[in-house]
Amino acid sequence: MLVRRFPRAVASLPALVAFVREFFTAQGLDSERVFDVDLVIEELFTNMVRHARGGGDAIELALDHDAGLLTVRLRDEDVDPWDPSSAPPPDFDKPTHQRRAGGLGIFLVHKLSRDVRFEHADRTTTVTARLEVAR
Amino acid sequence: MFKLEPLAAGKVKLVGRLDAAEAEQASSAFAGLDGPIDADCSALEYISSAGISVLMVTYKRLHQKGHVFRLSAVQPRVRNVFIYSGLAPLLGIE
Repeated sequence: MLVRRFPRAVASLPALVAFVREFFTAQGLDSERVFDVDLVIEELFTNMVRHARGGGDAIELALDHDAGLLTVRLRDEDVDPWDPSSAPPPDFDKPTHQRRAGGLGIFLVHKLSRDVRFEHADRTTTVTARLEVAR
Repeated sequence: MFKLEPLAAGKVKLVGRLDAAEAEQASSAFAGLDGPIDADCSALEYISSAGISVLMVTYKRLHQKGHVFRLSAVQPRVRNVFIYSGLAPLLGIE
């Protein structure tokens, strides 16, 4: 498992992308799959940056890989309870211009992941998403 | 990094990664577009919901003026995101 902490800012995204590349190279994973992993991490991380109340200076990202299944885990400490999965998904029956913004990111996370889990305990939010990344 | 490159009249090229870190600068660049626009996405490597939102704002603004805003040569992974979002038909993505 590779773990690193990133400043709580959208400007951390290039560093997150570099971290994912480092992990893919170390694990010998197919770089074709990196797009989905970047997207899942960006959406979850930016949601934490924008919507979590409280929080320290940094958010922890851990990556793990076992038998073609990649686990992304984000931990945000000292935050109020928060569950982005409670946001309603985009309403595809409405014309595009009437849809509410937001919600799309988390919808995409669910779409690209095998499963996603949100937990909050001891003022820490942990989001774990698992994606298939066959070698 | 993301860049919006003007090609010819009514044609632009999207280059790089359109993510949340680039969305603000990209918004300003797209705000300068007017008239019908064909956006070449052959060099657009990545897009997230933040990038989609920039493109949808542009689509709505141009559409209200009666102009077409379409994306062409979209790479498969980027195309998937538009399809999942239900926005592919609006932007002329097949």
